[in-house]
Amino acid sequence: MMQEDVLVVEDVRKSFGGRVALDGASLRIARGSITGVIGPNGSGKSTLFNIVAGTLPPDAGRVLFDGKDLAHTSPAEICRRGLGRTFQISRLFSELTVLENLVVVAHGLSDADAVQRALELLDFLEISALRDKWGAELSYGQRKLVEIARALMLAPRVMLLDEPFAGINPRLQNRIVEHLQALRTQGLTLFFIDHEMRIVLEICDDLYVLAEGQVIAHGDAAAIRADERVKEAYF
Amino acid sequence: MKSALLIAVVLLAAASIPLYAGSYPVSFLVQTFIFIGLAYSWNLIGGYAGYTHFGQVTFFGLGAYVGAISIGNGVPWLWATLLAALFAAVCAALLGGIMLRLKGPFFAIGMFGIARVCESLALGLDNITQGGTGLYLTAVDLERVYYAAGAVVLILLIATWRLDSSRLGLQLLSIREDETAAAALGVRTTRLKIGTFIASAFMPGALGSLYACYLGYIDPTTAFAPMTELTVIAMVLLGGMGTVLGPLVGALALSVVNEVLWARLPEIYLALVGVIILIAVLFMPRGIVNFAQRRAWSWVPTPRGHLRRLAERRGKVNPPPKRFARPAQGGNAGGPAEPDPRRP
Repeated sequence: MMQEDVLVVEDVRKSFGGRVALDGASLRIARGSITGVIGPNGSGKSTLFNIVAGTLPPDAGRVLFDGKDLAHTSPAEICRRGLGRTFQISRLFSELTVLENLVVVAHGLSDADAVQRALELLDFLEISALRDKWGAELSYGQRKLVEIARALMLAPRVMLLDEPFAGINPRLQNRIVEHLQALRTQGLTLFFIDHEMRIVLEICDDLYVLAEGQVIAHGDAAAIRADERVKEAYF
Repeated sequence: MKSALLIAVVLLAAASIPLYAGSYPVSFLVQTFIFIGLAYSWNLIGGYAGYTHFGQVTFFGLGAYVGAISIGNGVPWLWATLLAALFAAVCAALLGGIMLRLKGPFFAIGMFGIARVCESLALGLDNITQGGTGLYLTAVDLERVYYAAGAVVLILLIATWRLDSSRLGLQLLSIREDETAAAALGVRTTRLKIGTFIASAFMPGALGSLYACYLGYIDPTTAFAPMTELTVIAMVLLGGMGTVLGPLVGALALSVVNEVLWARLPEIYLALVGVIILIAVLFMPRGIVNFAQRRAWSWVPTPRGHLRRLAERRGKVNPPPKRFARPAQGGNAGGPAEPDPRRP
């Protein structure tokens, strides 16, 4: 990658009890790129995301965002520095409406500006009709879209998407891809985990393959397709 | 306009009650006000932030003792009440930093333990509190306590109403809904929780002191009574947690029911109150006000109305796309006709 790296993960280790989830994983995410992480279930992908977002502290190694070490930084602060995220399992606030789900995370905006921004995002993702629905009322696919809208409310520079395509029908998947690519042209860096190989191989500039907590392959889609170890671990 | 008129009438009526009513109804109302005030305070931390707990009576009891001791040392009762409130808030600040690391049932039971510790201290430190004998003070004129407690209720009602339509209130609700997600989305959960906990202890401190003024007496079992705690929680549950009118409705309903049944059926009144709460919880698990809001009854204000109005206004300037208006190939995830993602 020619550009500088906005997010750097250096030799991160994490184990839960005796089980090693991450065993010295290192990744570099270039500014303005779409970077994907793939790997079998239990390979440490979500742990990696939780460490990057500050929800879990790493046992060793460090995460640099814009060149600054994120150690001892709370998830809220990391988020406010420009790192938005969605969750693998929907974590919308179910007793709030969609509009409120968005407005609640608008930091440093007046109420009117926050509402304005929320309405624009709902419009951008073509879910304006959901505005006054309760979080609990939404279908699975709608939740995924609202989660993306909510992460965008934060006006992030880097967005972590945890399995945005899992369990979504192909047509909606294509729509999400379109939106993500539109966001990238606006300068957003996207870093995501997914199992949907069709999309991952199609849209990612850069790919990492995790297996048993280690990066076993790194490169563009063609390189990953050709890699023997990836075939063995994943395909 | 109509509601403003209604509020004015209710306020005037409430303010004039001591002028013509006897001491029994005024006394009943003082107790009711104290319960409403406690219910509103508990609603802040338990209803909005979702940190339900069984230890609010800690701050009520501490307030009662600080108030009684201050009055005993010649502080005027209103200043003593302010002092009691501040003392309760400081205690909450110290306790909050420790206790709010606990979540769910651990926090709830932990706070119950704190109340019991305070009760034991009040019993044990008899050179300050006179132990089980209790502290006696000259009772303050009933009317004055009535207006003071009424003012506390009014302040809490207005504060809750303001909170409900603010982003701060939304952030508290987000903590209740999913604290980890809220933190990951930039909500500063720790300071919000502690701040709310302090705010939820301030008025119980004041009300404790007013209660001591009202009774003219305070002892550990009165100050830290678990029954007070449970009644307050039952009131908020009955009225609706995390709503503006819930604590008021719940406290009024339960106080009136209590009073009526207690006078008529003294032998079985507690059992009857239990049955009524049981039925209410079965049919309205989220309380009366939530029940009414879901059915959009006209007398109940919409929750977080302020944001909705803002959105309506913006929506008119820039109308949202109509249902089914989008071409089919663009997909229609937002519309009601979204294909079921589970469908193959």
